[in-house]
Amino acid sequence: MAKPRARLGAPSLQSRLLVLTALVLGTCLGAVGWVLDRSFKATVRAAAEQQMRATAHGILGAADERDEALAFAAALAEPRLSQPHSGLYAFVTDTARAVLWRSPSAVATGVSAPPSLLRQPAPGEAVFAKVSASRFALGYTVVWETLGAALTIWVVTDWGPYRGRIVSFRRNIAIGLAGAALFFALVLLTAVRWGLAPVRRMVARIRGLEAGETTTIGTDYPPELAGLAANLNRFIAHERDSRERYRRATDDLAHSLKTPLTVVKNAVRELPGEDARVVRQEVARMEETVARQLARAAVARPALPCAPLPVLPLAARLARALQRAYVDKGVAVEVVGETTPESADSQQNLAVRVDEPDMLDALGNLIENAFKYSRSRVRIRALATAGGVDTVVEDDGDGIPPPLRAAVLRRGGRADTTKAGQGIGLAVVAEITATYGGRLAIASSDLGGAALHLELPGGRTPAAKPSRASGRTPGGPRHAQGGV
Amino acid sequence: MRLLIVEDEPLLVAQIDKFLRDRGFVVDMATDGEEGLYFAREHSFDAAVIDIGLPRLDGIALIKTMRDEDITLPALILTARSGWRDKVLGLEAGADDYLTKPFHMEELLARIQALIRRSAGYASPVLECGPIRLDTSRKEVRVRGAPVALTAFEYRMLEYLALHPGQAVSKAELTDHLYAQDQDRDSNVIEVFVGRLRRKLDPGGRLNPIHTVRGQGYRFALDRAS
Repeated sequence: MAKPRARLGAPSLQSRLLVLTALVLGTCLGAVGWVLDRSFKATVRAAAEQQMRATAHGILGAADERDEALAFAAALAEPRLSQPHSGLYAFVTDTARAVLWRSPSAVATGVSAPPSLLRQPAPGEAVFAKVSASRFALGYTVVWETLGAALTIWVVTDWGPYRGRIVSFRRNIAIGLAGAALFFALVLLTAVRWGLAPVRRMVARIRGLEAGETTTIGTDYPPELAGLAANLNRFIAHERDSRERYRRATDDLAHSLKTPLTVVKNAVRELPGEDARVVRQEVARMEETVARQLARAAVARPALPCAPLPVLPLAARLARALQRAYVDKGVAVEVVGETTPESADSQQNLAVRVDEPDMLDALGNLIENAFKYSRSRVRIRALATAGGVDTVVEDDGDGIPPPLRAAVLRRGGRADTTKAGQGIGLAVVAEITATYGGRLAIASSDLGGAALHLELPGGRTPAAKPSRASGRTPGGPRHAQGGV
Repeated sequence: MRLLIVEDEPLLVAQIDKFLRDRGFVVDMATDGEEGLYFAREHSFDAAVIDIGLPRLDGIALIKTMRDEDITLPALILTARSGWRDKVLGLEAGADDYLTKPFHMEELLARIQALIRRSAGYASPVLECGPIRLDTSRKEVRVRGAPVALTAFEYRMLEYLALHPGQAVSKAELTDHLYAQDQDRDSNVIEVFVGRLRRKLDPGGRLNPIHTVRGQGYRFALDRAS
């Protein structure tokens, strides 16, 4: 039985799809976020550099050559260079980094000199880099023709406002992507549920089929499943049909063999002579064979699991019918659980997974024997076992002595040859029990007679699920040889 | 005793017919369910033997229809199938017993006799009516323990009366149930046989087991012991 393993080892289709899409979605959205973040950062840096170059050019434009030295206009194009603590600072140095000028904003602040971390740019070159945790700087060297010297203009800016832009951009990106992720996840979940709905429907109907609530799995499936469903339905119908046909065929065979046998049997009954004796003997043998073989042939284990069949109502029905035929004998029949309310709960819904005609035959033969051999009492009980139901049919007759029990159970052995039919009856029960992987045993009853135990796989009617995953069936290995 | 046999296999029909006639039964044969139903409606029988697999109307439906129409005659079903479905359905439809083919005629006879007895309310094959004791399986009659020699016809008449205790049984009814249709049906013969039966059972004239009910017929007047 691979069922419990499958449950543990193989995740459901839905979780497979969900895990996979979660992975893909996570990776994609993560990558999108990362790329957006990188490019926005680069954009912000480029914008900052651009702005700082403009500032440097502005300083250059404001420079005035006076007495072989440089002087800067008091009013600069960039107002922030004039405000102390504005976050934008500028210096002009010679190539040896001696400060020739500093912007008013840099006076009396921590930023008193061009950043030493930034390398000295070559003439005509501009360098731009991060110089501390919170500052970026730009250096730009120009050769002042008239002075015949190179000057470097330094612009330092506080990174704070730029970082603010990046942080708020990141937040927006995160919110946007999270929203998208949520949306996609919901869409996917819906899609998966919707997409798998036909599969779930099919599974539910197959379960219903097993429980005997339905006889088909329906046809309302999408094209991908329609073929499978149609095949399954055909198989179910075919199985049912062929079982029915088979049963009818054996019935007809029984009828067409047994009626002439009755005629022959009675025709030769009174005839004198050796020939007649031989005919009588052979007719008896034919009768035995026909009965035995037909009984065997009639039993076939269904390919589909049978619907749970409650044992006690069936037993009660048989007992009532047999009481009509045995009314002379005045047998008191007790079907335990059928009438007593306290035991009804525990016994009423005990069910076997056996086709009804087979169960009717098995119980019919057992109860008929009990009626035959009883003095005045017959008791029928049903007990839950690990894998099914043990139906016990007891009588207050003479019982079957232990040494004879094995012989009686050997399909069709007969303990008492005076009551014809007993052997065949038990043979049928043994055949059915073997076919369904059950067990037939003889014990002694406290009523005084025999107690026949008919153990068959099954379970309780509602939900009809075995409580244990392993689901041991009595005599499990015999499954293989079932279905003659 | 008049029996209705509904069976479609001609050879078996002939066999049953001969066997039961030889044992003093009046037998009506029907070869399909519809015919069987017609007979059951039109005549009075002591018991019916009905095969389950019948053409036109199957045995179970026949019994069900009979019971629905309050035809209460005891019925025995014959089945060739080993399956229990037929037996249960037959008994539930109102059959009183079942017999599985192939059977011996003796078994059939025993079941028929038991059915007739049961429907008269006797549990045992020995009917004890006051000092008269009828052993229906051995066809023996004893009065106060002493065997009484009766002819087959006298015995059948006594048995019929004893199986209808306390009821007035008309001469016509006796003729119907004891004579086959093709036999001579002179009601004077019945009177003669009743007279003989009275003398044999009650030579002293003190028991008076068979009363004459004026205008209605005869009544078996002894209480049964059971």
